[in-house]
Amino acid sequence: MTVNQPSQAGLPAGTDVPVIATTALTRRFGGSITALDELTMAVGPGITGLVGANGAGKSTLIKILLGLLPPTRGRAAVLGLDTIAQGEQIRGATGYMPEHDCLPPDVNATEFVTHMARMSGIPPTAAKERAAESLRHVGLYEERYRQIGTYSTGMKQRVKLAQALAGDPRLLLLDEPTNGLDPAGRTAMLDLISRIGNEFGISVVLSSHLLGEIEQICDQLIVIDAGRLLRSATMSAFTQASQVLAVEVDEGGDLLAAELAARGVSVFRAERELLVLIAGEATFDAVRDAVAALELPLIRMEQRRHRVEELFRADSALAVAEAGTAAGMTGALDGH
Amino acid sequence: MATDSAAGESAGALTPGIGVIHDIGYQTYDGARFGRRTIALALCTQSLRSAFGIGRGAKAKIIPVFAFVIMCAPAVINAVIMALGRSHSRVVSYDAYVGSLRVLVLVVFIASQAPELVSRDLRSRVLPLYFARPIRRIDYPLAKYAAFAIALLAMIDIPVLLLYFGTIMQVHGGAAIWAQTRGVVPGVLVGLMWAVVLAPIGLALASVSGRRAFSTGSVAIFMFMTWTLTLVLTRIAASTGPHGAGAHLSSPAQVSAASHLFGLISPFTVLDGVRQWLGGTSPGVVADPGRYGVAYGVMLLAFLAVSLAALIRRYASVSVS
Repeated sequence: MTVNQPSQAGLPAGTDVPVIATTALTRRFGGSITALDELTMAVGPGITGLVGANGAGKSTLIKILLGLLPPTRGRAAVLGLDTIAQGEQIRGATGYMPEHDCLPPDVNATEFVTHMARMSGIPPTAAKERAAESLRHVGLYEERYRQIGTYSTGMKQRVKLAQALAGDPRLLLLDEPTNGLDPAGRTAMLDLISRIGNEFGISVVLSSHLLGEIEQICDQLIVIDAGRLLRSATMSAFTQASQVLAVEVDEGGDLLAAELAARGVSVFRAERELLVLIAGEATFDAVRDAVAALELPLIRMEQRRHRVEELFRADSALAVAEAGTAAGMTGALDGH
Repeated sequence: MATDSAAGESAGALTPGIGVIHDIGYQTYDGARFGRRTIALALCTQSLRSAFGIGRGAKAKIIPVFAFVIMCAPAVINAVIMALGRSHSRVVSYDAYVGSLRVLVLVVFIASQAPELVSRDLRSRVLPLYFARPIRRIDYPLAKYAAFAIALLAMIDIPVLLLYFGTIMQVHGGAAIWAQTRGVVPGVLVGLMWAVVLAPIGLALASVSGRRAFSTGSVAIFMFMTWTLTLVLTRIAASTGPHGAGAHLSSPAQVSAASHLFGLISPFTVLDGVRQWLGGTSPGVVADPGRYGVAYGVMLLAFLAVSLAALIRRYASVSVS
């Protein structure tokens, strides 16, 4: 679906401008700590996953992109605007959702989001409309007059998203939006982000330390580790994938992995599940037989697209595994 | 104003007579967008409202309303006394008002309301949301400063204006009204000076912590401690007998210098000292600047500069992510 974006004042027109572009972006703290190291990348429109462990430089990158922190070296541009010279314009066109809790408990969601829309420069009446709209989009319309303090974690995450959306941004920077959510909440949040990216025509950059979690909704992935760019690629590069079967058992995952390996099936141990490369119909039979033979409680069998982390196996990206960047990725690497 | 991004609405409009519930999709906004000045002004307005508990629950209004009513009491009492004919001249001064009552009420007001402006945002960690918007770091503390200075100005000068109106209703003749008008102007300006200087001190102290209790405590402790210290020291210095508490001070000249200079400790006595230095004639709270008026003036500017710098620095170091 195409969306006619309004031409916001001061924003370069045209769709060929990358949403984010950095050139040799370096940021050091106090001479000894290097948070970002010669980071050069380009982010196109759509949904982009920014993956890296805590301390990999994600927060520093976000601060630089919002024009709140000058880089030590190199430069960065957001929506074609320079982060040093045009920080205010960038922040006017960008919605930011921090990782941590950032909501006052004693205010209702409508008041809060309205105020935040005004802080984005929207006039009072329009701010009220946009607040109501944003809360409706994140699914909080019924509860919008309740005090935020009475909300569940999932609802609070939605308010955080709504306040970022209220200023009608062209880019959303979402820092660990699924943090603290239960599996159902995570799925709902990712669906919502997917809708924003695909239907609302707003580019989204979401960070996560769990690659496996966000890969399914991303058009592009950027993996950083210790401030360096490890990998940047569009998802289409991953789609000529071999088929993978995810198998989850309640217990005895190691036993099953050994049993499957013994039956000649390629299996990788991931965080909560086993990833089995599908070689044909026989693979399904082998899994069924192995589970039955070990009398393990099978929870889930799911055929899915080639998991992105496997791409990193080929990479000499062992640093990621050592840093424990993504638990799922580590598991896959260990299993190999 | 808004453009429709989904095809759903036009499809719905093409089928009249059928009650269709449709998702109108995401609406982009292409109306006016304000810059940082207007945004800071909106933040200032919101902060000014919250200084009086407006837009919050009834509980948030108790202390500001109570403080304001007490602050107005001398003006009302003056009007009543004059109306009953017990006195034909004003019983409360414009420039000093009722000094100790003003100090007491303002300490309570600042200690309870300055945290409302600054420590709530620190506590709920909402600041990153402000700094990720098109304002600059410095805009936040300055907007809060402006809001709180206006709030203090209202607390101080509305009672002074009430005093003025209560008085001119009882005096007769243009000359008398003119005299009152000339008298109230310095009083209002003294109020402005108090508001401008006390606001950043209160906010800087309140912004030390996101915990309201610490925030209120630091304001109350600083203001009461310095005030009490000034009171006590000035009194000791004034008791100059050879066996008095001030005996350690050797010469009378030193004694008189000390009694004039101890007023430099508290912001309130500094403010009152400056008022007297600039020509205020009504008896003040404690301070008598004597020959040291310039020192009071310098100290006033120092209080203003240090507290404002501390407030701005406080927000320069708040992390965004």
